[in-house]
Amino acid sequence: MADPHIDADARPENDPCYEAVVPHPEGESTAARFALTAREYGYGGIVFHTGPESEIGPATPSEIENAYETDIVDGIEIDRDSPGSASGAVGNHRSEYTLVLVRGGSRETNRFAAEEPRVDVLTRSMAGRGDVNHVIAKAAARNGVRIEFDFGPVLRTSGGRRVRALSDLRKLRELVNQYDVPYVVSAGARRHLELRAPRELAAVGEVIGFSRDAVRAGLREWGRLAARNRTLQDGSFIEPGVREGRYDEDS
Amino acid sequence: MRALPKHLRPRWRYLGVAVETWPEVAIDRRAFQRAIWDAARGLLGDPGSADCDLTVMRFRFEGAIGRGEAIVRVRREERTRGRAALACVDSVSGHPVGLAVRGTSGTIRACERYLTHCAEPNGETTVRLSGVERPAVRGRAGRLDVRTDEGFVGATELDVDVETEPSDGESENE
Repeated sequence: MADPHIDADARPENDPCYEAVVPHPEGESTAARFALTAREYGYGGIVFHTGPESEIGPATPSEIENAYETDIVDGIEIDRDSPGSASGAVGNHRSEYTLVLVRGGSRETNRFAAEEPRVDVLTRSMAGRGDVNHVIAKAAARNGVRIEFDFGPVLRTSGGRRVRALSDLRKLRELVNQYDVPYVVSAGARRHLELRAPRELAAVGEVIGFSRDAVRAGLREWGRLAARNRTLQDGSFIEPGVREGRYDEDS
Repeated sequence: MRALPKHLRPRWRYLGVAVETWPEVAIDRRAFQRAIWDAARGLLGDPGSADCDLTVMRFRFEGAIGRGEAIVRVRREERTRGRAALACVDSVSGHPVGLAVRGTSGTIRACERYLTHCAEPNGETTVRLSGVERPAVRGRAGRLDVRTDEGFVGATELDVDVETEPSDGESENE
């Protein structure tokens, strides 16, 4: 579904790639270390999904942006068992964070996230007991909820677990293609050593059945989503095409 | 045996690869080669792995700071799959590694320009991370690997408020 808040004329192939990671203290590397590594790997920005009780640190996002010239996006990953408490958490945190992610992993949470337009991304939808079917895929497409392709298990597991992860990715990919669901791609790094450059992820994607540009498009989508939400959360935004402020000089 | 005529020889691409892990981890060439073969077999299977023919041509590793670099050979037609297999190397002899392809070349000699970062600052220091003084190892461009009770934490100089050199005693520069 076309998103009215994203400029369709922009040339998406020039947008920078973004990656979503879990920083310290949940992860093993600080936000600054992730940003430094990501810049060297060719990322334009990085989404940090922290838990509700922690924030990006110890270095502040503006310090990191100035020092490493990497766009820092603050996100929260909501990980609840029941749709009811997840819904409450989405309501509480929607205005505080640029990106609101809901971790899937059960049919109920997946269904809730796909049907909630305030959710930006449904992560790890196939993990654990989770499953995505045509109903959830259609709902996600209708509500503009991005579904995450998590490359973590492909990169970091082997044997039976990896086989299951690959078949889950395939199922998800077929649904996403069928219903034109928006999606993002991530390697789910918890330390800087688990980051991989966009070109490497694209190569992995090609081997496991993604089209040549699909992985890069999924990495860029994080950045487009962040830009859209920043516009929406900006105080001067009223509705699409209408902003509070001075007239353009030349109009 | 006589060398093959030039047009029948395989064409190679050489990948300049940076390897990173936590400090005080020793990785040798054999272990690295084995990890690459395992990753290639896991991702591409035996035939795919044989097609790529990933071979470590040069390997250098600085154990004290946990950083190294390598030149890995891959068949030219299979370079995308070779790159994918390298991306799936997540640990070498049980130690987690970060791996990045810095660039590719048609000759080993040209590939050596991608190997740059072995002359790195290296030194033990003490930093204050989240209010606790901890030993740390310095790396390139302000990197700091901080030793904590649960293992290392990757940080940079932006994260530590007060840095005290072991010889200086209490010199505060905020």
